[in-house]
Amino acid sequence: MIAAFKRLKASRGVGKFCRNRLAVAALGIIVLYALVGGWVALGDLLPGRAGITYAQVEQPVWPTPINGFGIPATNERRVEAARIITREVKRAVNNGEGFTDIRYGLLHILPGTADSDTELDRLSTLIEESEDLYDQLSEFDDLNSPEPPTLDDGAPDPDSIDVPSTIARLEGAVRQMFAPLSGWQSLKQSLLHSLGTDRQGRSNFLRVIFSIKVALQVGIVVAIISVLVGTFLGAAAAYFGGWVDHAVVWLYSTLSSMPELILLAVLVYAFSGSVFDKVSNPWLALVPVYAAMCMEFWIGPCRVIRGETLKLKELEYVQAATAIGFGRFYILLKHVIPNTVHLMFINFSLLFIAAIKFEVVLSFLGLGVKVGPSWGRMIQESTQEVINGIFWQIGAATVFMFVLVLAFNIVSDALQDAFDPKHVG
Amino acid sequence: MTTPSPILSVRHLTTRFRTDRGIVTAIDDVSFDLYPGETLGIVGESGCGKTVTSKSIMRLLPERTTIIDPSSQIMFEGTNLATADDRTMRRIRGDRIAMIFQEPMTSLNPVFTIGWQLDEALKYHTDLGRAARRSRAIEMLKLVEIPNAERRVDEYPHQLSGGMRQRVMIAMALCCEPDVLIADEPTTALDVTIQAQILALMENLRKRLNTAIILITHNLGVVAQVCDRVAVMYAGRVIEVGGVRRIFHDPQHPYTRALLDSIPKAGRKEHGKRLPTIEGIVPSLFDLPKGCRFADRCARCQPLCRDTEPELLPAEGVGESHLKRCHFPLSQAAPVTSASHAAMTSSPGARP
Repeated sequence: MIAAFKRLKASRGVGKFCRNRLAVAALGIIVLYALVGGWVALGDLLPGRAGITYAQVEQPVWPTPINGFGIPATNERRVEAARIITREVKRAVNNGEGFTDIRYGLLHILPGTADSDTELDRLSTLIEESEDLYDQLSEFDDLNSPEPPTLDDGAPDPDSIDVPSTIARLEGAVRQMFAPLSGWQSLKQSLLHSLGTDRQGRSNFLRVIFSIKVALQVGIVVAIISVLVGTFLGAAAAYFGGWVDHAVVWLYSTLSSMPELILLAVLVYAFSGSVFDKVSNPWLALVPVYAAMCMEFWIGPCRVIRGETLKLKELEYVQAATAIGFGRFYILLKHVIPNTVHLMFINFSLLFIAAIKFEVVLSFLGLGVKVGPSWGRMIQESTQEVINGIFWQIGAATVFMFVLVLAFNIVSDALQDAFDPKHVG
Repeated sequence: MTTPSPILSVRHLTTRFRTDRGIVTAIDDVSFDLYPGETLGIVGESGCGKTVTSKSIMRLLPERTTIIDPSSQIMFEGTNLATADDRTMRRIRGDRIAMIFQEPMTSLNPVFTIGWQLDEALKYHTDLGRAARRSRAIEMLKLVEIPNAERRVDEYPHQLSGGMRQRVMIAMALCCEPDVLIADEPTTALDVTIQAQILALMENLRKRLNTAIILITHNLGVVAQVCDRVAVMYAGRVIEVGGVRRIFHDPQHPYTRALLDSIPKAGRKEHGKRLPTIEGIVPSLFDLPKGCRFADRCARCQPLCRDTEPELLPAEGVGESHLKRCHFPLSQAAPVTSASHAAMTSSPGARP
């Protein structure tokens, strides 16, 4: 094992790969994705201690939508956000329940201190001030490009307020309703807000990071199962020939004669309403997606490996293995399939990307991921927002998917350049 | 003199293939015996059925397209291999009858070390433990004169030269000490110096392990060097069988004669002459003549030859040890003909 590693390190291909800066960077990105995906997955194993859970991504981090990508919010939205928070705080104060919960992500609304009278008084003052400022601001028809209210004769109202400074005061009042954040918490908070929120106030950043896990999960599961099934069927078809071959070829010709996406959609749809729709475990909820994709994607490796096996079985070492006395099944497993391993790797990388892309397409159509976020679902949920010029959700999902797919393609190209002796260039 | 009983006795072996153009008989009524410890050469030109014969014995031909005629008999220790089931064949293959192939470059699995491949064969056929198998593998590699066997055993086939690989193949074939070794053109793909080494090695191993060898080749030089007896095949039939000296010095069949004539010989004073060749081509297996299959190309062809096919009969005055399939063997006086004289003459030298 160590010797094999040393040989690999010294081999020409590795050196060639390492000289390709772009490929190394892309490999780094893939590793980063894998690490993030792995860390996110820990959320299911050690909830609360590591990773991200399904419950967390469904929680709003702010009562109103927040702009992402550093786009400043409009005055109207800022005022609206302040109003909603004031209303929520007021409701909690009136009910006397205290703000021990952290519904809005990492913002602590004075946990455990609300029962003291001074604190309640302080909050009431802030609420009053906030409501007062809001009333003043609501006199403006258009907060985004405010025109000062006019008197009856058309002259500007001398009592009119300055909109930007009033909004700043309003937000200042609202901020004081919350406990001050420590440095780490405020960093977390700004990270959660960095890509904005969706219409329900859920963090796009959290959801897009969580979707990495979903994408890798679908990609790995589907690619491994499809490659294994396809390899075995293809090799068996070519090696045994006869009715086995006829059956396998018939099966894949039939499946591939249908348009890929429609077949996938139909297969996933066929599973809907089955027991998998009702399970609460999100890992199991993806089974229809896995099943449909595997039923479709085994065709690629199967074809390639059938062709390769047709070639391999005429080679003399396969005949030599027969001459040694091995059974046919043993030869298939030990002498034929190991020699197709390079094709298995190539097909794995192709199918991995294909599975991620089709997961997005299916989820966009409402057929794929049904529990929790995924890039496809984020794109689908953003359709209403995009019409209003709000692009952060679709932007975040697309960029994260694009970077992963691009990095994977660059790495597989570079691997081919570096290790395929027949590949010139 | 008592002749020992043959270890492998092939009788009336007929193998047919299903093809798109109908059923074709690749080898027809092939019979020969193989005695323990001897080397039998099977010679003939390309497509005459040498390889089909060997693969029929090993039952390595694709089952779906191959029909071995039920009347065929391949008797090996009381078992008829022509009709044996898969289990029996698997037990015999490798353990009792082993085979080495023509192309050493593709005869080893490229993804496993040679040690792994030797070990695999030993594991299948013996009860040896892991360490014992490894030492046996190294021992076999030493036996076939591979230098640094302890190191080589962990190398992959691509790290070995062609000659080395053929040695490894021989080691694999011999690791279970088979009674019969079928070598299908083992030296064809190797260069001449390596050829000689491999042949010497096989000869050496035959003496040490008393393995009977069937050596399939189209190289008569190789036959003369290592074989005890020779079977000459033509268009799917054995046309002459006999001791190697008799065949070389006193061939009975005109085809054998013609083959021998077409070997370049050092010191032959025929400068300016082209090497004699056999005119014409082998008849198509789909369209065999009614009579002798060599009739069209034979200088001694008579009307009888075109009408009836000769039987494989003992040559005159030698008895069972030398069989030929010819109406007018060369030991008889040449029949008087004028028509077909041109066929055997060497063409006049066109170049100096």
